[in-house]
Amino acid sequence: MNNQLVNSITSFNLMAYYIYLPVIILLTWYVARTLFRNSKIFMLDIFHGSSEIALSTNKLFEVGFYLLNLGFALVIMRVSVELNNARTMMETLSSKIGGFAIYLGIMLFFNLYLFFRGRRISRQRAREYALTPSGQVIQ
Amino acid sequence: MLNITAYCIYLLLTYTITVHVGWSFYKNGRIYILEELHDEALTDHINRLLLTGYYLLNLGYAALMLKNWEEITTLVQWITSITTIVGRILIGLGLMHYLNMMGIYLLRKYNYFS
Repeated sequence: MNNQLVNSITSFNLMAYYIYLPVIILLTWYVARTLFRNSKIFMLDIFHGSSEIALSTNKLFEVGFYLLNLGFALVIMRVSVELNNARTMMETLSSKIGGFAIYLGIMLFFNLYLFFRGRRISRQRAREYALTPSGQVIQ
Repeated sequence: MLNITAYCIYLLLTYTITVHVGWSFYKNGRIYILEELHDEALTDHINRLLLTGYYLLNLGYAALMLKNWEEITTLVQWITSITTIVGRILIGLGLMHYLNMMGIYLLRKYNYFS
């Protein structure tokens, strides 16, 4: 092993990655679990109670959420400066994790907006069907 | 030496993720095709074809990324290069997935199938 390799094993950069990776994975998992456990009720409402397609859609959205957010977290992981002491490491880490948490919050609210919008549209349609005279269906 | 271990871990990771995600799409996407076609046998055939196409596309794309890999000298670089490229692949998968769902939604909205 060359000297550079040995030095890099004990560097603060590596320690920052060891802290960053579990934190973002746990954060994403927790947010996704909370969001998609509670979104089932929206999906059932949107698809008028047909549970099979509602749960499938929920699952598909969940997979997409994980892919996008974990992917983004991994792409922004690189620390391009060399961290010399614990203080700079903590500052870098907190700005990275905080930025990611804000991004995750925005994604959460965007998903919630989509769910509310879907629910509104589906209710509106149901009302239109109900109001049509003689059971005619308007598209 | 570091490059080779990085490739092994990267390929293992992307393979696991691709297969896992593909299986989830395969199981949950079936109902969408069935709703449009109303034919169980045809649905299963089409679903299987879609899964195969998805595997080919993604594993091929993952394998292509090996070509432009940087020369790795330190352990920090080792971790960063693996996570950055896995992250890029995850974002690509996620974007493609959302585009597909939007496509299905639009096709249904404008009654393309009927």
